[in-house]
Formats: sequence, structure tokens, C-alpha cells
Amino acid sequence: MNELLSAKRRLAWAAVAAALLVAIASALAPRSPELHAYARGLAFAVLAGLSIMGVAFVVALPLGALAASGPRVFDWALRFLCDLVGSLPTVFVAAVFWAGTSSTLRFVCALGLLRGLEQAWLLRCEIVRLEAEDPESVPHGLGRTPLVAFLRRRMSAALGPLFVSASFSVAWLTALDAAVTQAGLRPPHAQPTWGPLLGAPQPSPLPALLAASSVAWLTVALHALFRPPNAA
Amino acid sequence: MRAAIRRLFGIALTLIAVSVGMFWACASFARRAGNRPASPFATLPVFFNPRPVGVRELSTSALHAIARGGEPAAAAQISLARLGGAALPYVLPALDSLEPRSRERVALSLTKVAVRMEVATPEELSDGAQAVLFWTRFWQDRAIDFRAASVRHLTSRLAERSIALRREDLIHVDTFALPELIAALGRVDSLDDVARIQRLSSVLTHVTELPVACPANASVADAREVVDTWRAFWDLHGSEYSALDGPRRLAATFVETQYGKWLAAVLRGGLGRTQSGTQALDLVTQGLATTSFLLFVGLGVGFPLGVAWIRFERQRRKFATRVASAVAGTALAAIPCATFVRCFAGRSAGLSTAICLVTITTAAWVSRHLARSTMSQSVSPIAAAFSVSAPLGATYPPFVLSAIVLVEVIYQLPGLGRTAALSLVSGDVNAWMAASLALASASLLLRHAADLVRPRPASSAIGSRR
Repeated sequence: MNELLSAKRRLAWAAVAAALLVAIASALAPRSPELHAYARGLAFAVLAGLSIMGVAFVVALPLGALAASGPRVFDWALRFLCDLVGSLPTVFVAAVFWAGTSSTLRFVCALGLLRGLEQAWLLRCEIVRLEAEDPESVPHGLGRTPLVAFLRRRMSAALGPLFVSASFSVAWLTALDAAVTQAGLRPPHAQPTWGPLLGAPQPSPLPALLAASSVAWLTVALHALFRPPNAA
Repeated sequence: MRAAIRRLFGIALTLIAVSVGMFWACASFARRAGNRPASPFATLPVFFNPRPVGVRELSTSALHAIARGGEPAAAAQISLARLGGAALPYVLPALDSLEPRSRERVALSLTKVAVRMEVATPEELSDGAQAVLFWTRFWQDRAIDFRAASVRHLTSRLAERSIALRREDLIHVDTFALPELIAALGRVDSLDDVARIQRLSSVLTHVTELPVACPANASVADAREVVDTWRAFWDLHGSEYSALDGPRRLAATFVETQYGKWLAAVLRGGLGRTQSGTQALDLVTQGLATTSFLLFVGLGVGFPLGVAWIRFERQRRKFATRVASAVAGTALAAIPCATFVRCFAGRSAGLSTAICLVTITTAAWVSRHLARSTMSQSVSPIAAAFSVSAPLGATYPPFVLSAIVLVEVIYQLPGLGRTAALSLVSGDVNAWMAASLALASASLLLRHAADLVRPRPASSAIGSRR
């Protein structure tokens, strides 16, 4: 659907979606403690999701580009790191991060770093694939390729998978939260989130339904918002 | 061939690094506020022990505490009595260096050891001066018996045949014989082995004062259980009865750690024992069926479904249909739908619902990635699926394994994910390591399989380079 909407419309659409959710949450919050928990969970999901995306982009863009076109050692290091963090279900990694970090901000940054490694690998694979498919391409090191040309041609074309992955950040975070809660790995004094609403043994139907719908809604909005700059 | 070896070496190296990471994760989680340490090795450092403690350090510390007297002396006396014969080579030669009152206090605190060694009665050692005289003479006469070679010889003779005198000879050196006695336990395959275990266990029970008996009518299985119990005891307390000198001290900096103890249990076979006493390997075998079933159904059905989905989406001309397809794909890939479905699904529908969820989320997730990776639409979805298999192979396993953990926990399915989650909560290190290593192996295999099916351009220098 992204092909049929302009960048401005997509941005407006995503903003309207988020605003609608916030309005609904604000209206519902005073009605019951569970709906209040839903509203607080929404604030956490939006802020933490955005922070994770931000940290992930900061990590993924340079690391992915260097692994694909820079010195070989970056490729090896990224592959090894991805093997390492990707070989365990993310839910356990998140549970340990959450238990080990004293503040929510550190936990979110750690998740962003984790997500960044994954996205760096996606970016690296896409750049390598595009270079391999391009008959005019010759294997250059990043140091010898003009940076502007690299960013305009290769990077912009290779951002698709990274954006897809980024658009699932809120869903990913909420899924982890729910799984960590359901598995009994949630820290006792953690910030109120959607995890207990979705992962509690006997969840209340309305807040759970609202939370699940909100996740889907936010994911769709993010998915619609992100689009590689030079995609047709 | 070289590439295969390199790949296998890479997998092995990654698994070692993963095991270190997972062990750290478990240890960190166990240390969180409010958790009670469940592992018997929780007091040891996790990976590196800069100051490993052996019998020399323990006995010297106890000796000085008793010599000084006061309140700490009571605990030191208990410690010295427990260390027993293993401490004598360090305590008795040091008696002369103490002042007379301290010397008497130390000699008297060894009375319990003398009684256990059957070399004196409490009445003979009731007076301090008498006790000092006894222990001085004892060391002059018996120091030669406290040598590893001598004890090894005595132990091997007891293991071969039962003669009361041999048993007494070993009891006379008390806990000093423990390393050789544990080493002599060996494998238990026949009734002859059972008889050997009975003889050795009798001495072990006497010197350690632990109630681990191998009964007269014990079967091979009973004897194996006794051997396992003694080995578990030795894992926990072995260093307290061994002198850590030279290379052993160097090795102890790794061996006397939580990770070293776990690795020792793994190398003995069966991946160690869980808190419930079962072998961790059995736990993996039980959980593997459910998890691999979910994984392969999710992968086998979900992946082609994702390809078909994007093919369908591309062929539609109507804007509304394409938007609906994209929205549905994105929404369904958001895993918390699993918890949403839980509200409406009974527990009896657990496995089928779990399969549906894993399959649908896989299909939706794959379809969204393919939609973006093939935006030029000049490549067929099937070719695109193979073309992007390497990145998807890297990001799919943690995604799908998290989904599997979630559905296993929610629907209480007896899989590896649930086992790992429960063992992490309860601090069962062996169960956690076994379950999570199995999950990590599955993830690595998936990743490498995806990399193998990736098409490689024959003439591309880049393709061959990466």
C-alpha cells in the first residue's frame, strides 16, 4: 500500500493513528483501574518503541554499511555477534536485561542495541545482495567509494528490510513484555506496561483486546510510515 | 570440504560462546533482588576464581582461629573436625610454632578426628598436654602414611578385595583418602562393581559422616545412584579436601567456578542433573518433540504461506484489497495476538491453537519482509524467498523461538521453551543450560541452513567474498 501513498500522507496517517489511540486511551483511563493500566501501557509502548527504533537505527546504519562494504573484520564481528544474540529466544535475553538493569531507560537502550544488531545484519545482507545483482558493481571498500554515492545508491535501496524490521518494534517489545510476564520472569517492581494485561494468567478481555488492537494499529501505522527513499 | 570444516568450527565456537553467555544470563538472573540462590555453587565466582581455596588455606585459617581462641574458635573447631585427616599434614607440623596454650587448644579440637580415625578414645585425649603429646607422636609415626601414592595403593587394594585391615588402614588416614576413594568408584556395570562400591562407600560414609549407604542387597542401579551422590558431594566439596598447588591452583581458577562446575557435570555425561534429580539430557529429549514439531510446522507451512500471500497481494489490482492484505499481514505478525487468542481458546485446544499461531505469525512476518525486499516486483516471490533467505535466516530463529516460548508457556505445552523459562525462574542451572543450548543449536542450524540455500552468483566477486 505504501507505493500508492505520498510521504506526507503516510506521515499524516501514522500521526492520526497514534493520536486516535492516545485520545481513546485518555478517554478510557478514568473509567477503571484496568483501563488506566492500558493508558499507562500505551505511553510506555509508544515511548519505548520509539527509543528502541532510534537506538537501533544509530547502531544498525553504520554497522551494517561497514559490514557490507568496509573492512572484513566488521563483517566477521557482526556475524559472530548476531549468531551469539540470535541463537537464544529474545524473550530470555530481554528477561535477563530487565532483571539486570536498574532503570527502564537502560533496559530500553539494551533492547535497542539488540534490535540494532539484528537490523545491521539485515542491512548488510541487503547491500551485499544488491551489489551481487548489479552487473556494473565492482567490489569496493567503503573507504574507496565516495560516501555520498554509497549513501544515495546503495544505502537508500537497501533500507527496505530494515524499515520492515523497525516497524515491528512496538509489537516486538509488547510481545517480549507479554512473554516475560507470562513466563514469570518480570521484575517485581517493573514499570506498568501492557505485559500484565496481555500475559496475565486470566487477562481481562476489554483491556487485553484494546492492548492487542493498539499494538496491531501502531504496527500498521509504522509499517505504512516507513518506506525506502528511492522505492518505486 | 574446507568450507564445511570452517562452518562446523564456527558453529562449535559460537555454541561455546553462547554457553558462556547463557550461563552469565542465568547467574545474573539468579542474583536479582528477592531471589534465593538455588544452585549449590552460588557462592563461587561465575567464571574466574582469583583466589581458589583448598585444604591448605582452610586448615591454616582454622588453626589460627583456634589458636587465638574466643568466639570464632567454635566455628573453626567444627571446620577442622570436618576437614579431618586431609588437614593433618598442615596442622600437625605447625603445632610446634604455637605457644603452649594455643597448641593445647588445637590438639584438643582434633579429638573428634582421632576418634573417627579410630586411633584414640576421648578419654585418652581429655587433657591438653596429653593431646599435644599424642598428636606429636602420631605425626612422627604416621606421617609417611599421609602420601598420595601410599593412599592410592591402599584404595586400589580395597577396591579389589575386601579385607578388614585394608578398610582400617584407610580409616586411619581419614579424609586424606577422599580423592583416591572417589576416583576408585569408577563405572558400575556388574555385581562385582556393586561389591566394590559397597566397600568404598562404607569407608566414605565413615570418614565424611554422611548417611549415604550402599545396602547389602543393592542392585546395579542402586549402586550407580550411590556413585552419583558421592560424585555430587565431591563436585561441591572436593576442593576443600585437596591441596591446590602448582598447576592445580592455576586450573582451580577456572574449575572452582560456577561455570567450571557445570562444565565438569556436562563432561561426565547427561548434561548434569536437574533440581528434581533427573538427567538434564532426558529433559531435553522430552521437550524436543513438542518444540521441533512447532518449529517445523511453523517453518514448513508458514514460509510457503508467506510466499503465497505476497504473490496473492501482488496479483490484486484493487487498492482496497492490497491495503487489506498489507494491514492483515502486519497486524498478524504482531505476536501479542497469541495472548489475545488465549482469551477465547480453551486449554484443550492448546497444541492446535499454538500451531496455528506460529504458522500464521510466520506467514505474516515472511510476507511483510518479502513485500519490501521485492518492491521492484520484477522478481518472483519464490526466487525472492531464496534470495533473502540469509537475512531472514538470521532474524527468523529468535523471532519464531520467542513465539514458541510464548505459546508453550501460555498453553502449558511440554516443550523446551517452557522448560527453559521455568528453570530460569527456579534457578535450575543444569536444566536451563540444557534447554537453552538445545534451542540455541536449533537456531544455529536454521541459520546455517538458510545460508546454504541462498543462491550464490557464480561470477560475482562479492558473492563469493561474503
